[in-house]
Amino acid sequence: MRKERVSQNRRRFLKTAVQAGVCLAVPEFIPGTALGKSGSVAPSERIILGAIGIGNRGRYVLGCFLREPDLRCIAVCDVRGDNRKRAKDQVDAVNGDKQCATYIDMRELLARDDIDAVLIATGPNWHATAATMAAKAGKDVYCEKPCTKNIAQSLQLANVFHRTARVFQAGTQRRSLPNFAYAIELARTGKLGKLQTLHAHPGGLGTKMSGWLPAEPERPRDQVDWDMYLGPAAWRPYTSKLMNAFHFEKGGGLVGGGCLEWGSHCVDLCQLANDADDTAPVEYEPVNGQLHARYANGVKLVMRNDGWLPLGSCPVRFEGETGWVETGDDAEFAASSQSLLLRRGTKIPGYPADFHVRDFLDCVKTRALTRANADAACWAHIACHAANIALFLDRKVKYDPKKNEFIGDEQANRLRSEALREPWRI
Amino acid sequence: MITKKQYSLSCVFLIILAVSAGTFAQDRSADPKEQDLIAVLKSDAPKGEKAITCKKLAIYGTRESIPSLALLLADKELASWARIAIEAIPGPASDIALRNALGKVEGRLLVGVINSIAVRRDVQAVDTLVQKLDDSNASVASAAAVALGHVSGEKAAKALTKSLANAPAGVRSAVAEGCILCAERFLADDRTAEAVKLYDTVRKADVPDQRHLEAIRGAILARQSAGLPLLIEQLRSEDKKRLGIGLRTARELPGRDVTEALAVELNRLNPDRRPLLLLALADRSDSAVLPTVHKAAQSGPEDLRITAINILIRLGDVSCVPILLEAVTEADAKLEQAATETLIRLPGKDVDADLLARLPQARGKLKQVLIELAGQRQISKALPAVVSSLRDTDVGIRGAAVRTISIIGQDQQAADLVKLLQKTKNSGERAGIRKALLAISGRCGAKCIPHLKPLTESRDSELHIIGLRALAIVGGSDALAAVKSAIESAESPAQDEAVRILSNWPSNWPEDSKAGQALLMLATSAKKMPHQVLGLRGYLQYIRGNKKLSNEQKVAKVKDLLAHIKRPEEKRQAIAVLAEAPSASALELLTTLAEEPAVVEEAYSGMVRIAGQDIRGVSKDQRRKVLQTVADKSKNDRTRQRARKTLSGIR
Repeated sequence: MRKERVSQNRRRFLKTAVQAGVCLAVPEFIPGTALGKSGSVAPSERIILGAIGIGNRGRYVLGCFLREPDLRCIAVCDVRGDNRKRAKDQVDAVNGDKQCATYIDMRELLARDDIDAVLIATGPNWHATAATMAAKAGKDVYCEKPCTKNIAQSLQLANVFHRTARVFQAGTQRRSLPNFAYAIELARTGKLGKLQTLHAHPGGLGTKMSGWLPAEPERPRDQVDWDMYLGPAAWRPYTSKLMNAFHFEKGGGLVGGGCLEWGSHCVDLCQLANDADDTAPVEYEPVNGQLHARYANGVKLVMRNDGWLPLGSCPVRFEGETGWVETGDDAEFAASSQSLLLRRGTKIPGYPADFHVRDFLDCVKTRALTRANADAACWAHIACHAANIALFLDRKVKYDPKKNEFIGDEQANRLRSEALREPWRI
Repeated sequence: MITKKQYSLSCVFLIILAVSAGTFAQDRSADPKEQDLIAVLKSDAPKGEKAITCKKLAIYGTRESIPSLALLLADKELASWARIAIEAIPGPASDIALRNALGKVEGRLLVGVINSIAVRRDVQAVDTLVQKLDDSNASVASAAAVALGHVSGEKAAKALTKSLANAPAGVRSAVAEGCILCAERFLADDRTAEAVKLYDTVRKADVPDQRHLEAIRGAILARQSAGLPLLIEQLRSEDKKRLGIGLRTARELPGRDVTEALAVELNRLNPDRRPLLLLALADRSDSAVLPTVHKAAQSGPEDLRITAINILIRLGDVSCVPILLEAVTEADAKLEQAATETLIRLPGKDVDADLLARLPQARGKLKQVLIELAGQRQISKALPAVVSSLRDTDVGIRGAAVRTISIIGQDQQAADLVKLLQKTKNSGERAGIRKALLAISGRCGAKCIPHLKPLTESRDSELHIIGLRALAIVGGSDALAAVKSAIESAESPAQDEAVRILSNWPSNWPEDSKAGQALLMLATSAKKMPHQVLGLRGYLQYIRGNKKLSNEQKVAKVKDLLAHIKRPEEKRQAIAVLAEAPSASALELLTTLAEEPAVVEEAYSGMVRIAGQDIRGVSKDQRRKVLQTVADKSKNDRTRQRARKTLSGIR
């Protein structure tokens, strides 16, 4: 049901674009004929995918990959036996065979020379470590968010992907959706006047999931490989209560994870609106349950902890001197003037990842930077982590994006990184 | 992706978990004292407590904590927690502790210690790390190699270079990584020659191909312009991965001379690869690439042309306009689509001016395209020329003019469109004009009403209906009067349409208060049954949405109306209005309606909804009685459940 709806959305989006020739806010698509997309795809031209950490979210994104004609998935990996089986069944059903290999240890999957790219949806505890391991193994990476656990990991992620020249796409798929892209285009092209304030709604700024809970009897390795689940996280005994990989160690496991859960989307969109994919705000201050940040160019970023606006989840609002626009996951808009919305293009609600996956696959072929490339992801995550640190310390902090350090603030600086459990490194 | 509900549940779960887990963040009411934390480490406290203490020491610890933390480096369960603190605490004490641990721990724990030394870039650990390159444990040797890369320096580079030649196969990849890390550091320190030497060494070594690729990239970028031959070698390589590294470095290597050389290379490359290199060139943010993109957009293979045209969206300027217009008018649908999109998105007021200047002389397809672009780009100065095109003999041009007017037209253009509409009998053309009229009416409001008059007075029922629909969008008293007049005097089907429009009067709802009277009139005295039904529905909708009415007033209006409602369908709608007007009178009326078998369940559902609320004039006992009645009598499982649940909630 879900799969069909998203596919139809995508077809409608592209079809409308073709028929109407309307101006789409989504960055231009690479012409298919230049990339072997016209007609059938020769097996030699297919991108071969391995999928790592395939729980609920992973299987959704994997489904987006499997819909692409120039992709074939041949292996899945998960520390949980039930996830492995479900993911394998999903892949086999599309491939029409029973050949999809399964792995508990991602290093075995990464060692395969026949895999070009990997989808990583392990949960935030593993994302940066797994992504950099994959890059060093010569794989291009689509990595779910939050991509990093702290500021140091964000920088390391960007460095490794520069060094290895692998393609990286953070799973911040709203960058590839027309309504968000349109609002961003309004902000970046001066249609709102000089930007003043950006509103992001991360929600749940104080949530967290970490700690050391009482031990429970460990399960057989083929059901749960606890050591691999913990991965780079500091050791603690097995407990089923920490088995929600979607949240485990989110935000570094030390301070609020909620900011990273949604902030990696909505703060990321604000970053793009402010043309700040290569920097982050320089000041962060908790104010009445909100987090107020300020960029060096004077633009203010407000992260709110309360509920969504009526435009769906993950809303953003961009305010300039002469106008404002607001949009969210319902793909509806509110704006200071209807004239701002004349060219808003096709409505695609429900934040599907299909377009983002397609952008990644195109970039795998062209070697171009993706919309949510490692640098962009790095800085959006730094903004979220710095906000988390300000919230944790419950005071204003100042950040120097050139030196990547908090100014005169040793406590904040110590929170920039955290040792990885042996033997893992980035 | 998670739903909002799942998200909320997750948050609740996390809060519960945080409380039970005693996480660090939870008990951060005041900065802890270091001595207290050290005491925990020295005590017999459970390991979980010591673990969280290590995290606290990462922020609040000093060299005083290091000895206690260092003792944990040999503890398999706590070593990683201890390193969190040791890595974070500044000063030599941490480095010394880690260095000392090199000789005390082994296996994975040793790897962890080495990794922490790498993070801290401890130069004094280099000698020991060099020794560890020969460790029989490949994980240890690999960790040492990468750590040497992070620490960097002449001594590290020399040891790594030496090891690259004779390290076991399982370690060589890490040694190469160490070399590349060293090279990066040299480059950052302006020691280019040493960096190049290291990159070249790795390029020629027997290491995994990914390390080769990294070395090739580094070798190209470190050489700067002198790296061009190596870059071009990759672009021409039969190996896809080398082509990939060529395409990436083609984006990264700076310099105008590089841009020009790559532009030359574009024509020499295999045609299949040209779009890829053109995309890479476009990503260089160098204006020198524009002539190359222009040329590629003008002629040659279709895929290259389309790629070039797409690129012009972000690189192009007014100089691209002739090229793009040429492409639009070619008989190639893909080119036309790509060029049109680019022309729409090409930034700049000068582009608008250029397109505008071409419009008066344009003919045929070009004129049609320019008119469409005027709309899509919202070039309001083009309006006079576009309006005059409404009289063009070419139906395609007239259609484009209508579409553009629908975007940029003002109320005066409504008059132009009405005239055109009166002239044409073509159904397609009429549909286009109708759409444009509705768009302008929505945008310009009441100013359009005089221009729409010829339509509302037309004997052509189709035109009459278009006029009425446009009025419905405008809203307001004048528009309402016109619609009422049509109901009273027009003939079918315009009369039917007027009734439908009135029953859905949305324009300035509920400010168009007179719509209520008109709807009530329709509901109670229309001659045709369908008109009565539409009137009833519209009136109920009016009551429901009218914020000026109190709940009691709404109930009173519904009660009056009930005498005219014959069908259960409208009674259900009336019940829905009552259920949203919580009051004693609504509850009473719903109880009465519950005696009618056709609507009993809807009435019960509404009663549960109201009885669940604390309402003035309705006691808790009365509410309980209502809910008990529903719980006993309803035949709907869900309604019964809701009644019971609500009942149990009244205390």
